[in-house]
Amino acid sequence: MGKIKIICRKRCFSFSFLLRIVMIISLFLAIWRKDWVWVVGTFIGLSISILPSILKKDVKFTLPWILDFLIALVTILHMCGRLFDFYYTIENYQLITRFFISLLVAFIGLAMIFIFDEHWDGLKMDKYAMAFVTVIFTMAVGVFLEFIKWINITGTYYVKTNNVLMINLSLDTIAGIIIAIIGVSLIKSGRLEKITDDFGNQINKIVIDRIEKSR
Amino acid sequence: MNKDIIRIGGVLLSYFLKILMIILLIISIANRHVEWIFGTSLAIIVSLIPTILKRNYQITLPIILDILITTALFLHIGGGILGAYGIIHYDTLTHFVSSFLIAFLAFVIIYILDEYWDGLMMDKYAMAFVVVFTTIAMGVIWEFNEWITDILFGTQEQWGYNDTIKDLFVDMIAGIAMALIGVTMIKRGSFDELTEDFGEQIDKKIIKKRMNKKNG
Repeated sequence: MGKIKIICRKRCFSFSFLLRIVMIISLFLAIWRKDWVWVVGTFIGLSISILPSILKKDVKFTLPWILDFLIALVTILHMCGRLFDFYYTIENYQLITRFFISLLVAFIGLAMIFIFDEHWDGLKMDKYAMAFVTVIFTMAVGVFLEFIKWINITGTYYVKTNNVLMINLSLDTIAGIIIAIIGVSLIKSGRLEKITDDFGNQINKIVIDRIEKSR
Repeated sequence: MNKDIIRIGGVLLSYFLKILMIILLIISIANRHVEWIFGTSLAIIVSLIPTILKRNYQITLPIILDILITTALFLHIGGGILGAYGIIHYDTLTHFVSSFLIAFLAFVIIYILDEYWDGLMMDKYAMAFVVVFTTIAMGVIWEFNEWITDILFGTQEQWGYNDTIKDLFVDMIAGIAMALIGVTMIKRGSFDELTEDFGEQIDKKIIKKRMNKKNG
């Protein structure tokens, strides 16, 4: 049992390490390509995974493995799209990337709501209410993404048509609903608590406790 | 006393707008504009829902909600019948009023659930966030409705990419405006006054009944 744990930890460490390298490469690539939306996206991804450890060195910051996996997947998908021009050569490639981005956003939303519900006195929520907020959160973040694309004057590869906009928003909604359904089932079985346990405790220490103390 | 004066003023304003809608109905009948005869009749019926709820079900909606519903409907049908949609930014104004109505409704529902339902306890700032998200999400659903209508019936509900982005932006601004107003009102205690009657009725007629049913 101990051996399995050690192997798992080593693998998790190497996976997280690999992910951070991929993200740093992605950040440079995005700057080089003047892809400002992706610069912001990668920066947020990096902030989630690295910044807390830099700010508070004594805290070992571990993301839930699903979150680590989704961030890596989305980063790699977009990097491949830009490096190998998959956005132009593969039909609907943009939709695939968008769908996984939305899944990632939805899971972040669900995890944050669940963690706040568990650790913060300012939020106590029924699981179905959590599912509802997950869906509307994903839809709203999708709209913010569209605003960024709309403002982006240097980006040339974004297709700015009403049809693409509506399809993107539909994908956000579907992704939100999927994660909400999975989330309710994970909460019922108690697995979401296990997945977000470490992460929740760290968020509690770094963010929630500080907010409550400052109040 | 002050509360009563505001309420009476609100009721009078609401009835004044309803009378204007009846005048618009007469204009559309005189012009034999079938689409607007149907639309205005429907708008008048919808604007009477708060009155019907009060008379038949003893549910009193906050007067601001009544005024917002009537104003949103009046602006829409007035714009259509009198050709005001041709006025620059009129469409933006109607969209803002509708979005603000949705945001207000969302805030009222969340606040009441927070007050009376065991399944929700929320800090006022968290409420503000959820109100903004809800307003944007409802805006997206509205855009879906227009998009699907255009695909199925070949209509021109959506005017193009920039117009859809603008509508979503207006939804967000309306949500943020309501969130700021709502938080200020909660701090002052006036939101509680505004929703007290409605909250108690919802609690009595829906929440407690559901809880009793759940508990057997």
